[in-house]
Amino acid sequence: MRFGGITAVSDLSFDVQQGQIFSVIGPNGAGKTTVFNVITGLYQPTTGKVHFGGDDRAKKLTPMVMLGCLLTGLVVAALAWLISTNPEKFWTASVRDPYPKKEDGFDVGKSFTAAGKYLTETDGLGTKMLYWTAGGLVLGTLGAFVVWSQSRRTPDGIAAGRVARTFQNIRLFQNMTVLENVLVGMDRTMSRNVFAMALRLPGLRREEVTAEKTAIELLKFVGLTGKSGQLAKNLPYGDQRRLEIARAIASDPLLLLLDEPAAGMNESETNALTALIRRIRDRGITVVLIEHHMDLVMQISDRVAVLDYGVKIAEGPPEQVKRDPKVIEAYLGKDEESH
Amino acid sequence: MTPARKPFGVSWEGAIFLALLLYPLFPIFEQGLFAATGRSLGEQLPLVFIFALLAYGLNVVVGYTGLLHLGIAAFFAVGAYVAGILSTAAYAFGWPFPVVLTLSTLAAAVVGLLLGAPTLRLRGDYLALVTLGFGEVTKFTLKNLEGITGGSRGLSPINPPTNDAFWTDDYRPFYYLTLGILIAAAVLLRNLERSRLGRAWIALREDELAANCMGLNPSKLKLAAFALGAGLAGMAGALYATRLTSTADPNAYDFNRSIFMVCCLIVGGLGSRLGALLGVVLLVGFDNILTPVIDSKIQEWFPNAGGRICLSFTGWRLAVFGIALILMMRFRPEGLFPSNRVKHELHPDEVVGDPIDPITMARTTGEVEQLDGRKGGDA
Repeated sequence: MRFGGITAVSDLSFDVQQGQIFSVIGPNGAGKTTVFNVITGLYQPTTGKVHFGGDDRAKKLTPMVMLGCLLTGLVVAALAWLISTNPEKFWTASVRDPYPKKEDGFDVGKSFTAAGKYLTETDGLGTKMLYWTAGGLVLGTLGAFVVWSQSRRTPDGIAAGRVARTFQNIRLFQNMTVLENVLVGMDRTMSRNVFAMALRLPGLRREEVTAEKTAIELLKFVGLTGKSGQLAKNLPYGDQRRLEIARAIASDPLLLLLDEPAAGMNESETNALTALIRRIRDRGITVVLIEHHMDLVMQISDRVAVLDYGVKIAEGPPEQVKRDPKVIEAYLGKDEESH
Repeated sequence: MTPARKPFGVSWEGAIFLALLLYPLFPIFEQGLFAATGRSLGEQLPLVFIFALLAYGLNVVVGYTGLLHLGIAAFFAVGAYVAGILSTAAYAFGWPFPVVLTLSTLAAAVVGLLLGAPTLRLRGDYLALVTLGFGEVTKFTLKNLEGITGGSRGLSPINPPTNDAFWTDDYRPFYYLTLGILIAAAVLLRNLERSRLGRAWIALREDELAANCMGLNPSKLKLAAFALGAGLAGMAGALYATRLTSTADPNAYDFNRSIFMVCCLIVGGLGSRLGALLGVVLLVGFDNILTPVIDSKIQEWFPNAGGRICLSFTGWRLAVFGIALILMMRFRPEGLFPSNRVKHELHPDEVVGDPIDPITMARTTGEVEQLDGRKGGDA
């Protein structure tokens, strides 16, 4: 992953087994969050790929996509055609002139005939229309395809592939209630029927009630009982972290990425968090963790990877990593330098 | 602080709608006001309802989704002109009113989609500029396509919903038509606010990146908001043209109209339906109802002062308007009737712990409180 001339993360590769807790550690600026941002589609990797469940989670070039691009092209072509006909004259010829007596009423057939006459009998219009329409079609189709191909790995696509995350600097929906935050997390799993929403049909009400029950269960699971009606920003710091986790779990992920969940927590809060992460793993969710808090990492991780200056310098079970001389050097510096 | 929302178990919004529904049933009010001011309030109110509908449309885009939209008048114009073409005597169409209303709504929504699809990836100020530009382009297009739109003369006359005296003899049929549509729109928006879509819009306004990572597709959601806003504006435009029996000239749909609607929302309170309604009542009421009354009163009290400009209020109304806006921004930036959410945002110290509107069914039925053990909000 490069930003301009700076290589933030290079030649990084690691595998996470399903059902494990995997930690990524490293000094500040080592590129840990960048890794998360690449995984969740916020950044496009300059080179290389991210696979999840044997798939790189990019949108596939299906016939539907091609049809969509073509449809966009057709809309643009139609607009271009309309402009090329000289709309004012076209309109006058087909809608105004055929009706000297307005009382006769509008007749589709009559207007069509008049329109056809105008289009075929105006000098030079045929070629102009052809060029404009063809140009619109090509431009529209290509444009739609370019836009699509640039957004093949979008965060919402990745989330739909059941990967969820939290953020290092908490990003809750501050002015929404705790319950609403979790409900937004569940968004993906809910009905898409806009008419049912607008008319508030009984099926939708039932769905809402069920969703709220699930959300309350989740809040209980992370330890936020009784706070569902508060605004997210009024929660204490530790609770905000928990709420972010609850919101992430609400989207029903298989893989959960936690970016420094223990940052700013005291010891008892950290212990509660440790237990919570274990319980998340026990729900069958694979957890990848970025953390500075070594006790936490060493206690719960199945495997640990260490990053330094964007390069992986060690990977393995916690005990092995702890003894690795390269890791010790990265954290404490070389002997010569410390004198 | 207890939220003063429910006098007699009805929301303020419901109470206002009820009062408006009842107003024409008691002609004594109308007669009394007419005697006092020399103008009929019932004739003026439909215009307020139409602009309230427009404000609702704008509120979906600006209030819920948080996109600054400075070209809502363009969609208002599309609605007005489609309705104009389909029902003016200058064309042979003369289609029935329900069809015209539906088609102008759809046309405006489609134009909204066409404008939104390529531009909604822009952020903040850039989008505001695009919408502003689109508003101006629409105005000049309408002016220049003289063969279709009648240029600066506009299209007239536009037929009333049906061609008989029913619509013209009495103000009440049109009053109830517009009020009915407004109430229907309010119910629809309330439902959307409480649903997945409304939540997603607000989440997008709060933090687009986080919302995106939760699986929300910002482009689609913004496009939906844009199309809905444009559709409501188009419907308002069709009603406006029908009301005036003319599309008026394209200058009625310029930047001033757009910014006036944004002002209505800001004065009323962004993101709140009640705020949109009352903002329009205040500003349109001031502009179209109060100003002429004050003017005629001045004429009455100072019969010889008619020639002197300083004694005509119309000249001063923009100044009053501006001063009111400045005072508003200084002392109550969240608007007069804000949604509780925005109140929290701007005055965090005063209202901490004040429960915000329960937005979902189960909360209002108390089911969730039971599940949750404690009543939400008491910190």
